[in-house]
Amino acid sequence: MKYEIKNIVIIGGGTAGWITAGLLAAKHTKKSSSSLTLAINITVVESPNISPIGVGEGTWPSMRETLKTIGIDEVDLFLHCDASFKQASKFMHWETSPNKKNINDVKNDKSAYYHPFSLPVNNFCVGSLIGEQRSSNTDHQEYAQQWNQTFADQVCYQSILAEKNLAPKLITNKAYDYIANYGYHFDASKFSELLKNHCINKLNVKHVLSHITAVHNDDNNNIAYVVTDTQRNIYGDLFIDCSGAQSLLLGKHYKIPFCSKENILFNNTALAVQMPYKNSDDSIASCTHSTAQTAGWIWDIGLQTRRGIGHVYSSQYTTDSAAEDELYQYIERLSLADRADISVRKLSFTPGYYEKFWHQNCVAVGMSAGFIEPLEASALAMIEQAAQMISDQLPATTKTMAITAKRFNDKFIQHWQQIIEFLKLHYVLSKRDDSPYWLDNRSESSIPESLQNMLELWKYQAPSKYDIPQASPLFPAASYQYVLYGMNFETKTNRYTEEDALIDFVLKDVQNKRQKLVQVLEPNRMLINKIKQYGLAKI
Amino acid sequence: MTNHVLLNNIEHKDLKINTDRTQEMGDNVWFAQTFPMEFRNVQAHYPILLQKDPNTGRFMLVALFGFENDDNLFLSNGKWDASYIPFAIQRMPFYIGFQNIENNGATDKQRVITLDVDSPKVNKNKGADLFLAHGGNSDYLENIAIILETLHEGIQQSRSFISALVSFDLIEAVTLDIELNDNSKHQLVGFYTINEDNLNALSNDNYLALQKAGFIESIYMIIASQMNIHDLVARKNAKLFS
Repeated sequence: MKYEIKNIVIIGGGTAGWITAGLLAAKHTKKSSSSLTLAINITVVESPNISPIGVGEGTWPSMRETLKTIGIDEVDLFLHCDASFKQASKFMHWETSPNKKNINDVKNDKSAYYHPFSLPVNNFCVGSLIGEQRSSNTDHQEYAQQWNQTFADQVCYQSILAEKNLAPKLITNKAYDYIANYGYHFDASKFSELLKNHCINKLNVKHVLSHITAVHNDDNNNIAYVVTDTQRNIYGDLFIDCSGAQSLLLGKHYKIPFCSKENILFNNTALAVQMPYKNSDDSIASCTHSTAQTAGWIWDIGLQTRRGIGHVYSSQYTTDSAAEDELYQYIERLSLADRADISVRKLSFTPGYYEKFWHQNCVAVGMSAGFIEPLEASALAMIEQAAQMISDQLPATTKTMAITAKRFNDKFIQHWQQIIEFLKLHYVLSKRDDSPYWLDNRSESSIPESLQNMLELWKYQAPSKYDIPQASPLFPAASYQYVLYGMNFETKTNRYTEEDALIDFVLKDVQNKRQKLVQVLEPNRMLINKIKQYGLAKI
Repeated sequence: MTNHVLLNNIEHKDLKINTDRTQEMGDNVWFAQTFPMEFRNVQAHYPILLQKDPNTGRFMLVALFGFENDDNLFLSNGKWDASYIPFAIQRMPFYIGFQNIENNGATDKQRVITLDVDSPKVNKNKGADLFLAHGGNSDYLENIAIILETLHEGIQQSRSFISALVSFDLIEAVTLDIELNDNSKHQLVGFYTINEDNLNALSNDNYLALQKAGFIESIYMIIASQMNIHDLVARKNAKLFS
């Protein structure tokens, strides 16, 4: 076939490059030598000069399916990537700033809330009803008061598991199976290494270690080949730009304009540290902690041997040294280390994304397509989504590539817009007034119009599927409910539905399930140790 | 609760083991671990299935006596209604313990018999003597020692058998749907059996490897033992209407 797409060249070997290579190879490279199967060649060109940036240590549950598809043994994550289970994000001090009394008492922060990976019980209708009724003066408010419970505690069994550092499954559950939906925390560079070895040894992906010095187009403005410093020129039919923030092909070569979203999401700097546990058997949190600061927030991710902690903030609203000081204070409050012993790595970024991601025969995946603060750990999920769509919709010939490219661009523009609005929601709902950063975050000019419209609607009706135009959105309506009602947003409704009658029953069911699971599930670290010792059955 | 102590003919010289098979004696269990060496006997009476050890997630072989906890369908009038009782039951209330023995300066781990002195089977009035009048082992205790030794070997053998099954992908999950004569329906989950499709699709080399390890016979005994589920259902129905 003329114009056939046979050779795919992936530029960059971080998590983006190897996830993309893995998904493509798992789907398109057949081991049999039958002439009927369309075999594609996948080459990953990795620069030996650039070390992976190693952010994005939190994943979504979608990573389980991705790894299963690629053919990774789940046990290897725990053996080789310092991995642990993640079930939720916990947000602290987002609604109100801590007073002096409770700043040291993050655990008892009354305004803390969870965004768990499991949906509200039964379906999000229940979430809607509860969300609406929490705000109204009905009997159900008594439930909430009776248990002193947050929205997530009322409608979902998972928050208590994260609160108690429990694992989301049992040692008898087979690999990738769960009792409570989960993703992972892991060491991103070790993860990248695991994928790389698997892609090269099991999936026949070609690996070239060399630096790209030039990019050459053909007469149609498609990339014909890249020039490398050590090897021959590398030709390809489709080039996937996984070169990270430098955006070698999409940004540098094709000069696609970048759309900054710093006017919506102010954060543009991150300070990252790695902190070993005090004791090697300290419990491992099974959720990401996100604690709001004066001009940003601090992430805290528990791996097996260390915690990854970082402060992401806006350099417009604070100084590096003030941000560093807040990070030190956070670490010192946990008694993890003295500030003299901490080495901090600084990263700067512009929040936003490129005007398009697929241009000619080049598509960008990962940071080469855009970057946004890791508030909902969306980076790896976006990579998975992009790689999956490229793999599923891989054009057979260059003739149809433009059609696929347009669809891809439309879809991912929507994804980026949704992420940005969803992240912005966390800031808009805050009642903090301790700095211009929080006040400005609520100024109308910084809030996208569609989010303003939704917020207006949500005063009278709970978030539902009608708020989300995409067929397969990154964040379902339930996510909006978790954040909205986690931050005590008020939805005033006078509607009654048939489901109202069932609510009491359903709520009791959630409470029963919470109690049962707490008794059955083991601590995060204990299960991880068992998996490392005994493995996980595949059946 | 259990309380395991090292068995000795001084402290324990007067003890007897009540050999009745009853709920009170702790025999009302719905499954027990088994192993290929006793499959010939076990498959004549009980379904042999695989189950995951709740502490390790690893497979173990079990003989099934009923469909739910505390429902051993073989217990009747103080007896066990079958001509063969799996070793894991017969050995009660004795266990294998390990003791460090100094041997020419080196420490060896030696297997010893321990007794659960809190077991209701242990008493001074009724049942089989443990020791003879002058302190020697009774025939009953000699037999227990053989059983424990066989169990120990059997568990080792089970491990290699199971790892062969796992590596040849010969295990599959099975859900037992039981309908009783009172029209009640019961579903048993968490059990596994032989994947016969994969067994039949084994390459000659793999089949030969299993045969040389002596595992083929055990595999077919597991398959054949499934017929005993009908016997269990019949026992359950008989109990319902008794």
